[in-house]
Amino acid sequence: MRKRSSLAGFALFLLTVVMVFALSIASTGAQDATPIPEPTAIVSDLGTGSMKISFWNGLTGSDGVTLNDMLAQFVTENPDISVTTEIIPWNTLYTKLQTAFVAGTPPDVFMLHASEIPQFASYGVLKDVSGWYDTNGGWFPWDDISPTTQAGMIFDGVTYGIPLDNHGRGLFINEGAFEKAGVDPNVAPPTTFEGWVELFQQLTLDVNGNNAASPDFDKENVAQWGFAVGEWPRVNFLAALAQHGGSMISEDGTTVTVNSEAGVAALQNFIDLVYTYNVSPPEAGFDTWQGFAAGAVAVLPSGTWFRNFAAEQTDIEWAAWPQFQFGPGQGTWFGAHTWMLPVGLEGEKLDAVQTLIQWVSDNQVAWAASGQVPARLSAQAALDPENYPSNIILGETFGAYGVQDIQHVAVQEMYAALDPELSAALNNQKTAEQALNDAAARMQQVLDRNR
Amino acid sequence: MEKTDAIVTSASATKQNRQPFQMRLRTREAIAAYIFLAPFIIFFSIFVVRAVLSAVNISFYDWQILRPSRPYVGFANYQELFNDYVWWIAVRNTIIFTAMTVTGTTIIALTAAVAVTQNIPGAGFFRVLLYMPTLLSVGVVGLTWVWMLSTQFGIINYGLSFLGIRPVNWLGDENLVLPALSLTTIWWGFGFPMLIFIAGLQGIPEHLYEAAKIDGANGRQLFFHITLPLLRPSILFVTVTGVISHFQVFGQPFIMTSGGPGRGSFTVIFYLYDIAWRAFRMGYGSAVAVALAIIMGIFTLIQFRIVGRRVDY
Repeated sequence: MRKRSSLAGFALFLLTVVMVFALSIASTGAQDATPIPEPTAIVSDLGTGSMKISFWNGLTGSDGVTLNDMLAQFVTENPDISVTTEIIPWNTLYTKLQTAFVAGTPPDVFMLHASEIPQFASYGVLKDVSGWYDTNGGWFPWDDISPTTQAGMIFDGVTYGIPLDNHGRGLFINEGAFEKAGVDPNVAPPTTFEGWVELFQQLTLDVNGNNAASPDFDKENVAQWGFAVGEWPRVNFLAALAQHGGSMISEDGTTVTVNSEAGVAALQNFIDLVYTYNVSPPEAGFDTWQGFAAGAVAVLPSGTWFRNFAAEQTDIEWAAWPQFQFGPGQGTWFGAHTWMLPVGLEGEKLDAVQTLIQWVSDNQVAWAASGQVPARLSAQAALDPENYPSNIILGETFGAYGVQDIQHVAVQEMYAALDPELSAALNNQKTAEQALNDAAARMQQVLDRNR
Repeated sequence: MEKTDAIVTSASATKQNRQPFQMRLRTREAIAAYIFLAPFIIFFSIFVVRAVLSAVNISFYDWQILRPSRPYVGFANYQELFNDYVWWIAVRNTIIFTAMTVTGTTIIALTAAVAVTQNIPGAGFFRVLLYMPTLLSVGVVGLTWVWMLSTQFGIINYGLSFLGIRPVNWLGDENLVLPALSLTTIWWGFGFPMLIFIAGLQGIPEHLYEAAKIDGANGRQLFFHITLPLLRPSILFVTVTGVISHFQVFGQPFIMTSGGPGRGSFTVIFYLYDIAWRAFRMGYGSAVAVALAIIMGIFTLIQFRIVGRRVDY
């Protein structure tokens, strides 16, 4: 029995070591010099007015804090109205909205992306807000938003949304990483894939300081990556797809075209960056934001929302660049956070919600503090270049060559078919052609089913 | 003889009198039992049985939650399911994950249970410590292990570096992602089976060990010929509930890998979530749920056939 006891003791020791390690990490979290930001309140009761508005949104990042600050100002100026905001992760918000509509208890106002308008509008649960635009005698100036944003608000000829912003993609560069690699951070961004590869190779350094173009480069021990393909691959791919002249579906909306020559070329660009040129880690298993914060990524493709993370949670000297250009043309993905109302909202509640949306729309310049680009062109023009360089640089690209998500009632289902295939290609499980053919086959089923 | 007959008659009469009494007693006990069970049965019927039957019904319709038109499609959803290669990938991943996790959990929980029932100082403390991860939510567990398994900042790869092993991409390698998720789940969940095994171990009479030791049995023989056979009911319970539970894995891949890389950790419930709550196809999603329930039923039946046959309660 003594032998059993000693074995048992050893087993206990091993298990205890694992427990203590993991539990201590679970209880304390990461301890480093980076300041820990204030968590965003999930539910906030703002104001004490008797007219109560419930508002759901998915702004879980620092943009949620900015919006809550704006709403706090709104209820101060409108003391009769109080607002209860619930910040819910986007995917959960879609789920919760469905059940709320079925139960007949939707919020008074909610925020979705413009790309979700077709899906919810097709169910007949969104309110027509055409009358709020000045083209129909309302208060929101239709010409004060870009044509692509205008298009995103409409489904089947009806306008369902009031845009809050344009949020989209560009590049965030770590100037220190450039200098470490001997590259001038003020260099002009390349305009060809080959040019970008050359730059990324210069910026990718192994532990011995050799860059990826050097014959002595040790690709198994990279200390600094030039690029990171894992940062939301789908929207990177959508940008490159547009740059190569491709599209997700045909113009008549009946055929999936994501596996066209342009699509394969676009996806192959990213695969080559990982497996041919060794300038990016694979898509899976690499935390891009923390990698950037730790100085391990020189050029990070990310979104306007990255601004506050870079500014507040890293000590990195950074700058915003327009989106990469891998194809012959330009292109970058962007979307629009959009106010939407449930179809049954009427009376004084509707008036209060309209007051709220109008107030925020009139003060969209303040929304730039979230990192996003205000939807109104007049607000974009009023931004201070000192405080909002990334908003301005990226905002200009959205207007010039931005591409939005496809307008389709089953867009989420199509992306659910595409995303794993992109991941498979970027992790060397499938070729670009195989992955896109597999994605296209499933996406075509979705298109056919929803015709 | 008359006296004997009288005694027999008297005994027979007493027996006849006692039988109705015993029957009445049993009936009364049964009624009492049903009364005590009634609240559970009522709530179980309303919130579980009804929902299950409703899901089966929905699986025969093209049912989109917000769409008023819900046409009957018969077995079309099931036909689509059996021709859907993503479904089969999800089933394969789920079976592999469940097999690894149930096996690992059972072995580690049994080892821990045997260890903490030894005469070791601080055994009570260790029981609490080993049980503690069970109290954590899947969100906390998932995020903690993402950090621990990270190639960039993970403590596990840091430890391996002292052995000269390069960082392993646990969550980014399609061959390692399921074992990594399984390891996380074992760490999180073995506390409860450990308690079951502790209870089972405490129910084994000590005199069996003493008799075996007098006959010269060593520690290994005691474990394999006394402990393990007498723990079969506990093992059956742990494995059956483990299979049912782990077949429904969702939180770990959802939080840690998003089902990737590719569809490397895409599980059945993840697929159900995608279908029902991302594509809003409740009819097809219900077919996925029903098919999963059938698969779980088959596996449970197999377990009862293999392990349950040899269980003495």
